Amino acid sequence: MGEEERALPIVIVGHVDHGKSTLIGRLLYDTDCLPADKYSEIQKSSEMLGRIVEFAFVMDCLEEERSRGITIDTTQTFFKTSKRRYVIIDAPGHKEFLKNMITGSSQAEAALLIIDSFEGVRDQTKRHAYILGMLGLKQVCVLLNKIDLVNYSQDKFLELKAEITDFLNKLNVHPNFILPISAIHGDNVANPSKKISWFDGPTVLQALDTFKELKVEEKPLRLPIQDSYTIDGKKILVGRIEAGHVRKGESVYLLPGRKKVEVKNIEKFLENDVAIANFEESIGIRLKGRHRVKRGQILTADLTSTITNRIKANIFWMDPMGYRTGDALLFRCVTQEAPCRIEKIYRRFDPASMEFTEENASSIRSAEVADILIRLDEKVVVDPFNEIPEMGRFVLEKDGRPVAGGIIL
Amino acid sequence: MKLFKGKEKKGFIIGIDGVPYSLLTTYIKNDIMPNLKKILNDGLAFHQMNASIPDISSVSWTSFNTGVNPGEHGIYGFTDLKPDSYSLYFPNSKDIQAPPFWEILGKTNQKTSPLCQDYCNKISHPCRSIIFNVPHTYPASPMNGILVSGFVAIDLKKATFPESAYAYLHSIDYLIDVEAEKAKEDKAAFMKSLFECFEIRKKAISHFLAEESWDLFFACITETDRLHHFFFDATMDKENIYHESFLRFYREVDQFIKYLYEQYRKRCPEKGFFMILSDHGFAPVKKEVYINRFLEEKGFLVLKDRGNFYERIEPHTKAFNLDPCRIYVHGEDAYPRGTVKKEEKTALLEEIKKSLRGLRGENGDEIIDKIYEKEEIYHGPHTRMAPDLVCLPRDGYDLKGSLEKKEVFGDNIFKGMHTWHDAFCILPENINFLKKPSVESLTEHILQYFTQ
Amino acid sequence: MDHLTRLENKSIYIIREAYYQFKEIAMLWSVGKDSTTLLWLCRKAFFGHIPFPIIHIDTGYKFPEMYQFRDERAKEWNLNLLIGKNEEKLKEGMGPNQGSKLDCCNELKTNALKMVIKKLNLKAILLGIRRDEHGIRAKERYFSPRDSQFKWDYENQPAELWDQYQSTVEEEEHFRIHPLLHFTEFDIWDYVKREKLPIVPLYFSKNGKRFRSIGCVTCCSPIDSEAKNIEEIVEEIRISKTSERSGRAQDKENIYTMQKLRALGYM
Repeated sequence: MGEEERALPIVIVGHVDHGKSTLIGRLLYDTDCLPADKYSEIQKSSEMLGRIVEFAFVMDCLEEERSRGITIDTTQTFFKTSKRRYVIIDAPGHKEFLKNMITGSSQAEAALLIIDSFEGVRDQTKRHAYILGMLGLKQVCVLLNKIDLVNYSQDKFLELKAEITDFLNKLNVHPNFILPISAIHGDNVANPSKKISWFDGPTVLQALDTFKELKVEEKPLRLPIQDSYTIDGKKILVGRIEAGHVRKGESVYLLPGRKKVEVKNIEKFLENDVAIANFEESIGIRLKGRHRVKRGQILTADLTSTITNRIKANIFWMDPMGYRTGDALLFRCVTQEAPCRIEKIYRRFDPASMEFTEENASSIRSAEVADILIRLDEKVVVDPFNEIPEMGRFVLEKDGRPVAGGIIL
Repeated sequence: MKLFKGKEKKGFIIGIDGVPYSLLTTYIKNDIMPNLKKILNDGLAFHQMNASIPDISSVSWTSFNTGVNPGEHGIYGFTDLKPDSYSLYFPNSKDIQAPPFWEILGKTNQKTSPLCQDYCNKISHPCRSIIFNVPHTYPASPMNGILVSGFVAIDLKKATFPESAYAYLHSIDYLIDVEAEKAKEDKAAFMKSLFECFEIRKKAISHFLAEESWDLFFACITETDRLHHFFFDATMDKENIYHESFLRFYREVDQFIKYLYEQYRKRCPEKGFFMILSDHGFAPVKKEVYINRFLEEKGFLVLKDRGNFYERIEPHTKAFNLDPCRIYVHGEDAYPRGTVKKEEKTALLEEIKKSLRGLRGENGDEIIDKIYEKEEIYHGPHTRMAPDLVCLPRDGYDLKGSLEKKEVFGDNIFKGMHTWHDAFCILPENINFLKKPSVESLTEHILQYFTQ
Repeated sequence: MDHLTRLENKSIYIIREAYYQFKEIAMLWSVGKDSTTLLWLCRKAFFGHIPFPIIHIDTGYKFPEMYQFRDERAKEWNLNLLIGKNEEKLKEGMGPNQGSKLDCCNELKTNALKMVIKKLNLKAILLGIRRDEHGIRAKERYFSPRDSQFKWDYENQPAELWDQYQSTVEEEEHFRIHPLLHFTEFDIWDYVKREKLPIVPLYFSKNGKRFRSIGCVTCCSPIDSEAKNIEEIVEEIRISKTSERSGRAQDKENIYTMQKLRALGYM
């Protein structure tokens, strides 16, 4: 409640039945982050049934909380360690997860990839892992859950660990940790377990505590124009600073035209004399002189942006209907929109089956990833994803709905 | 940890809400339901059965699910008043004070009952059950298997356990219930929606049946109850424009039962335990009877104009009615404004019973068939909250609990009403009943089968 | 950037985006604290000149303090205030004691709004719903998507807008935009405090009682409370076991249950 301390956003991915809900319940319970009035309910029931059913209750309670609209909300599920707070960004299904990640509306800085030790790796496990890699999520912790179902066997764990490391490397994901846990019994989640005494690595919480918050690095200004208003005869451009900062009086560039302009004033309601505006602020800008400015143009600090109508990218196709070369799509990146076509499909494959399905393909199937070349009807302003992610991720739409998400190479 | 071995025992229960024994008999005889006829010859017996008292779905299914009477499970209707108040609430699955048979068999029960105590120690392996669209199981509680709640369920997510079941149902746009509210506006469209809803129901049931492992499968079809409420005048009358559709619906039910039976037999080649039942019967409606208006006219009930529902009860009130016909004495020990003293109760009940027996329809018909005092029909720790009097009407007169009516008799859009005496059950012929079975007496046989 | 500023910036972005996408747009103002916060954010987004109408659906039964507050703000903030009222039904004497509360809400709120939307030919409306208010449905989106089965989710209206009772589902063809989705109840109060936003005095304790949510006089009850200002309210909420929504969410389910039972002749 007004706490300034920032929570590290994490996302928990993996196959839907591999124990994500139980893990969340366990994380909340073991860190004392469950709402107080749930304790007595859980305790009472636990007494009657033995500990194992506790988690059905925790999740039952969380479900109830959610449906009764009380404070817990899974897209804002908080827990804490002695070091810091964490917020779990819910990924109900991989489509939403991808959409959220691509559009930046929920940005995780670390991920827990959960795998059922008894069942092993499933297709969805691989797809999620691939997306993590694609989106450059470097801080990944793999959890081999339900280790109790394989009798807490060290051999089994090592066998699985090797298998997983192998396939993850192929997907260019290099996890920081691979941990054996049992969310339902609480082994190695918040506390180490005697049953896994052969394991000398950290608990889940300890692993999370080693992760770093992504520093907001100093990047050059990127301010996509969202709209233009005329207020009291003055023209005010509005937009959100996607990278960097802007100062009053500063000279900046208006792209794609590469026009040099001066920031006359930074406009914020009821604030006069704003000297500087920073990353993530939604502001108004007045430029000196008269200029034709419209939505989709970008104000930048320098000319390092890529201005192009051909983009090399890596995409994940979400739509059940696949893609054929030549099909028309709409490219959307920040406030820019341009009709486009995928000109070349260099390579496409299904991360779940891990084979390089096809080179120089002419189609892409649902749930596949592809390295492509997009040709747009007009020039757009972008940056490579690994330099300025906000300007390097995009969505492709067809008939008004998102069909793929991607990153610019 | 012990690995769970597959059991040879498999149980299968189909519930068809509101289907009367008498109607089913006729349809079997007239070859409207040839598949059911065939199945009956496969070692099964067909019995008429008594529903719960009162004979509404929430009570009847709960009695079946738990195998005990309302005095043990605590559910007396769709509505009830919170203790020591006039606040109306809708009891849900969390308010049921006895465990359902799937929790007993699955060893996940959090509550207990005499029936449970008799059997819980005899269960060697927990049973995995799929419980589909069974009324009055909302919200869904965690259990061993899959649970999808039936009527009244509001939120599909809260109505399913586990989450993967919800994901599937969400993907097929599953409907928990038809929108009965629409029947008023467009009956033809509503009839259509019944078939559509049934299709989705069948699809979902078939999915879980085929894709999941189970020891016990219990699925309910609730569309029949809706069909009967609005179209019961079409059962026999060939002139009725909905007659053909009505028969067609039953034919589809017949086909589906055939399909389910075949699937069941595939998984369970030997005898197994197969059951079909309804929770109450149906009869055509002549008139609705508003018991609260009757009590008002006789001076037992005094209401003020302002307030919600039972908050309108004035201190002078001696008794009031909850839907359908559950009469409560306005005792000073039980209600904030209650004035009836303990010692006055017996005489008061006699007076009310006399009045009720005197209630006559337009042709001089007797309206009330049976009147029970609570101790006559309810036994168990929750008898205290039971209604003091419960009435069952003669077929054709539908007793209601509305507080808004200005006349004792009225008409409505409904064509059918529930009946207590005309439910049915079909189960293995080796199970004999000494007297006419009632809905809560069936459950024990399920438990027996799995623990033999 | 601090927490509240982050929330604020996000909302402003969404509001501006909504205006760009739908020029025929309006904001629904219930005069309660959430939608007043939204109104304030709209003022910020458009530098004090909100370019679309602010709609107040007036059932005719609102608290006098609400009408006063509404008219004061409309004047002070120079709002394009439009009042939606089902005059016809009110003339017939419609009210919560005339028939059912559901019918009353249906006629005086839903239908009144329907009429306004039709009259203004609105394509979208901005609403002050928070995500922590309505976990009942699956994840709500900032922009509710339009598709062939699009239904107006009346149950997703904020508390102050619909009081305790809901009306029947209606079919409408417009988008709903929720710029406050990421605000929690606490965040709203914190923001109100920080911005020194005026809110209807009914929220504050008078004679040992205050209102947790405000709507029609006939259907709103106060709670026991001594909280006379925002700090005290925040503290009270922090301590209390239930939240603003818990009672209401259950009320919502109760309403649906009642509807369903009624449709089959029970009740």
